[in-house]
Amino acid sequence: MSTAALSPGADGPAAPVAGGRPLLRQVLRERRRPAVVSTLGGVVHQTCEAFVPVLIGVLVDRAIERRDAGELVLWIVVLALLFAVLTTAYRVQLLTLVGGLEHGEHDLRTALARRILAAAGIAAPPRPGAVRSDVGGSAGAQVTVAGSDARRTVDVLEAVSVGGAAIAAIVVTAAVLLATSLPLGLLVLLGTPPLLYALQLLARPLERRSGVDQARAAEAAGVATDLASGLRVLKGIGAERAGAERYRVASRRALDAAVRAGVAQNLLLGANVLISGAFLAVVAWVGGRLALDGTISIGELVAAVGLTQFLVGPLQRLAFASTLLAESRAAADRVSALLDAAPDRDDPRSADHDDAPPPRSAVALAVAPTAAGTPALDVAPGEHLGVATADPAVSTALVHLLAHRGEAPPGALRVDGAPTSDLALDAARGLVLVADHDAALFSGTVRDNVLAAAAAGLDLDAVLDASGADEAVRAIPGGLDGQVGERGRSLSGGQRQRVALARALAAAPPVLVLHEPTTAVDAVTEARIASGVRRLRDGRTTVVVATSPSLLAACDRVVLLGGDGVLAEGTHAELVEREDAYRAAVLS
Amino acid sequence: MSAPDAPVTAGRPDGGRPVATADLLPTADPREARRVVGRLVADRPVLAIASLLVLVGGAAAGLAVPPLLGLVVDIVTDDRGTGDLAVAAGLLLVAAVVQALLTGVGGQLVVRLGESVLADLRERVVGRALRIPLRRVERAGSGDLLSRIGGDVEIVSRAISATVPTIAGAGLTVGLTVIGLVVLDWRLALAALAAAPIQVFALRAYLRDAVPVYRRQRILEGERTQQLLDAFAGAPTSRALRIGGARLDRVRETSGAARDEALHGFRLLARMFPKLNGAELVGLSAVVIAGFLLVDAGTISVGTATAGALYFHRAFDPIGTLLMLVDEIQEGTTALARLVGVASIEPPEDPADPATPRDGEVVLHGVGHEHVPGHPVLHDVDLRIAPGERVALIGTTGAGKTTLARLVCGIDRPTRGAIRIGGATLDELGPSRAADTVLLVTQEVHVFAGTLGDDLRLARPDASDDELLAALCTVGAEGWVTALPEGLATVVGEGGREPTTTQAQQLALARLVLRDPLVAVLDEATAESGSAGARELERSADGALAGRTALVVAHRLTQAATADRVVVLEAGRVVEQGPHDELVAAGGPYAQLWGAWASARER
Repeated sequence: MSTAALSPGADGPAAPVAGGRPLLRQVLRERRRPAVVSTLGGVVHQTCEAFVPVLIGVLVDRAIERRDAGELVLWIVVLALLFAVLTTAYRVQLLTLVGGLEHGEHDLRTALARRILAAAGIAAPPRPGAVRSDVGGSAGAQVTVAGSDARRTVDVLEAVSVGGAAIAAIVVTAAVLLATSLPLGLLVLLGTPPLLYALQLLARPLERRSGVDQARAAEAAGVATDLASGLRVLKGIGAERAGAERYRVASRRALDAAVRAGVAQNLLLGANVLISGAFLAVVAWVGGRLALDGTISIGELVAAVGLTQFLVGPLQRLAFASTLLAESRAAADRVSALLDAAPDRDDPRSADHDDAPPPRSAVALAVAPTAAGTPALDVAPGEHLGVATADPAVSTALVHLLAHRGEAPPGALRVDGAPTSDLALDAARGLVLVADHDAALFSGTVRDNVLAAAAAGLDLDAVLDASGADEAVRAIPGGLDGQVGERGRSLSGGQRQRVALARALAAAPPVLVLHEPTTAVDAVTEARIASGVRRLRDGRTTVVVATSPSLLAACDRVVLLGGDGVLAEGTHAELVEREDAYRAAVLS
Repeated sequence: MSAPDAPVTAGRPDGGRPVATADLLPTADPREARRVVGRLVADRPVLAIASLLVLVGGAAAGLAVPPLLGLVVDIVTDDRGTGDLAVAAGLLLVAAVVQALLTGVGGQLVVRLGESVLADLRERVVGRALRIPLRRVERAGSGDLLSRIGGDVEIVSRAISATVPTIAGAGLTVGLTVIGLVVLDWRLALAALAAAPIQVFALRAYLRDAVPVYRRQRILEGERTQQLLDAFAGAPTSRALRIGGARLDRVRETSGAARDEALHGFRLLARMFPKLNGAELVGLSAVVIAGFLLVDAGTISVGTATAGALYFHRAFDPIGTLLMLVDEIQEGTTALARLVGVASIEPPEDPADPATPRDGEVVLHGVGHEHVPGHPVLHDVDLRIAPGERVALIGTTGAGKTTLARLVCGIDRPTRGAIRIGGATLDELGPSRAADTVLLVTQEVHVFAGTLGDDLRLARPDASDDELLAALCTVGAEGWVTALPEGLATVVGEGGREPTTTQAQQLALARLVLRDPLVAVLDEATAESGSAGARELERSADGALAGRTALVVAHRLTQAATADRVVVLEAGRVVEQGPHDELVAAGGPYAQLWGAWASARER
């Protein structure tokens, strides 16, 4: 078990960051080299692009107008050189930028995964002021953050590179024009900022609206996926037509939204074309007058109009870079909210690298009463204790405490007299393993899953037999080497539960806590599991929190818990005999 | 990690049960797909023609710019004065206005056309997809349908909303540039064509090398997402088992693989640029040299030569755009073919005169079933369930309980024997009538995204809030629903409040009540929610089943004890049946089972 991989500092941004902006700064600092090199590559590339129309002008001027073949050859060679530099610079920009983006994205994603998987967990209610309320919540939301938001965050590199290159191109264009003719240069130099500003002014509200509309359009896709995921349920109640109708409504709404978004986008596109076209006309008019005066040559006129046409590109790229930057900031807020999410339980000793505890077979377990409503419980070394409750909330609180989930007072749980709060969470959970009834399986084979946390010297057949997983495995195509699918979805609920139980038994912890381990299996199999677990864990401390009579009957001792503490204890048979409350909880 | 002898499942998106490729849902051939889209476009002739005309007009107005700039050059070289210059500049302004107008309007028309075609297509696909028989969907693996109406619809949407307008714009510009050059002087156009062979060469190399890499990249990104979901959804489990390190390694591995493939793809892409830039250089030089020779020969003016060079320069970007989009066009076409494939499946038709079930009686006569020929799972089952009777089905895993339940609901067809509901076979009832008569609730819970009311109204779209609350009351769920601050308007499912398993299952039972069928089949509908929840659900099920014929695949024996009759299945045969008390007294397999369940009670 490589717990070391979960400690901070193995790779990626490790230092805690607060808020989106510091995270962006950190990304830029860590990816300095690609940021600088790709921006430089972009500047050179854009400068070369700007000089293409200038060279066309020179060719018209010196070669075509003067009909000079020597000049033609000379300037075509220069054009070729320019293209060589241009294409090299672009390669450099693209490759360094993409390298920075891909590595940065991967490292950030790894850091996020480390945070989410850390022993400390993520507190259920997010800290106040967190940007997204569901950041610590559903796995789906976390996947979105680690999947696409990680990428959008590092897109800050692209914003810098593309934006920097665009600014360079605008500056070069202006400089060449100024050198050609002061009035023309001033016209472009002074005309561009208001032009940019006007475009931005137009773009902002339109983009916002089109963003809202696009989100609405995406909702239809959500409805379709939802219906398809629930297909069996939908068909079970014969609601195919109602489902299709619901999709039709969502699809029409999406259509309206998409058309509205299209109106906004195309208005913007039209405005863009109008403004740059009109500007070109003005430059042609002013430049033409200067050329008529003889102030500038024909080649310079051609270069000027060529440059003005060219200028549209950098202007658009600059707008793109600013949009990218805004998106990157929003994504960085979400990423840092998750990176900095409050822990479910503090794990101050995780840095001590406490490895798995020495193997002990029979340990005593003591639970102190806590404010959360868990009563005192003592489990003797090697004992099999059954815990039954009439109130599921009581058993859930007890299971949380045993699983070291959520904050608990120091000494709430002792193993052989020593409080587990003195240990790192990983070490504590190595002593007491809580197997939930809805434990997750991971994609891979059945064998991968059963052996995921297996102790050394495991007798696989004995574990499969005790958990009833052998029967499940026979029904799975491919048996032990069959795939369980994403989160075990290819298996039935009963198969999943038995494979998960086998996995917990294979871990052979000093204390094993089973929480309702047989809710999804049939009564016959449940009886088999009850005696199998009893046999396999013989002499090792085991706590079964359940209301199933077969499981409780296999325990040495059973306690009935209520909201106020232990209501009764004895063997299952004794309790059934004399306790009405127990019969109501277990046999009704 | 998959075993070498299981290559069929390796790399499948759902990584699930082995599924032969032949069992996937059909995919149309690209020609058929284009024909379907063509028909949808042809349904909107005015919009289609208007879009085309306006876009062509816009591109043409844009192409007036280089000749007008050429005119400016000629005015200057011929020293024709400021009046002519003002006219040329004014024409440039007019061209800009016209181009802006037509581009803006044309873009909107294209979006309207594309989106409405897309909406028709996706509605048809989803409508069809929901009506495909479940066994067909399961044979293909449920991931197949999901990836089509989730992933493929999105790919096609993106292609239509983003790619098609771009391609239309860029394609028109390139096409009209060629025309413009020909109009200017055909020899200039010929010179510009010098770039074409290099571009074709670059594109072919790109398609050969980079496109497979992109495909692989998308698969790896899919695996990465799946691995993230696996790891994050299972985070509590991996914390308990202390295997977070191994999960993190898997995330790092898949993310690293996706990263490396992306970098590989970009290196290949980067190889294309020198070729494209080379093509630009060759074409531009050729146009300039041709212009030089033609001006030298006195055939054309300096302005025309300038216009030719500027024309070609203007086409740089659109050509690059077109080449970069080839991959997306291919991807969109593939996704489209998969959609059209689903749309082409014929759902089962209702008979012209569907039978009406006389009552809720269910009769199975000599029913046998084989999922795989030669491997029977049910043998010769005879069973009559009287109208309103509740029968519990008991047996171990693999005894055939679920198969029997599915046969009664008509999801699978029995290999042998006959099933009659109220005197009519499922074929005589037809799919619609059968869906009104027999309903199935399984342990699989799914709460549809939307409000609670929306979720319930899937069962009866015209139900009033009072009817919904009455149904919730029947299943004992009105308490927690009315306790919600927003009641029936609470948003549930993906992105909303996650109900507990028990609550979700109560909603499923409430939907059953709203549909109000004669016959209800519950397949372990009370499992998977913990024992306490199971007891609560048993009460909910009691409410939901009152007055109906019910076949309950029971998981807890208490359910059997309260049923009118218990049927014990073993290895696909009915080995015992009768009321609970009789069976317990008889001392057969059921009595043994009950003894193990309630051992102490018998003492």
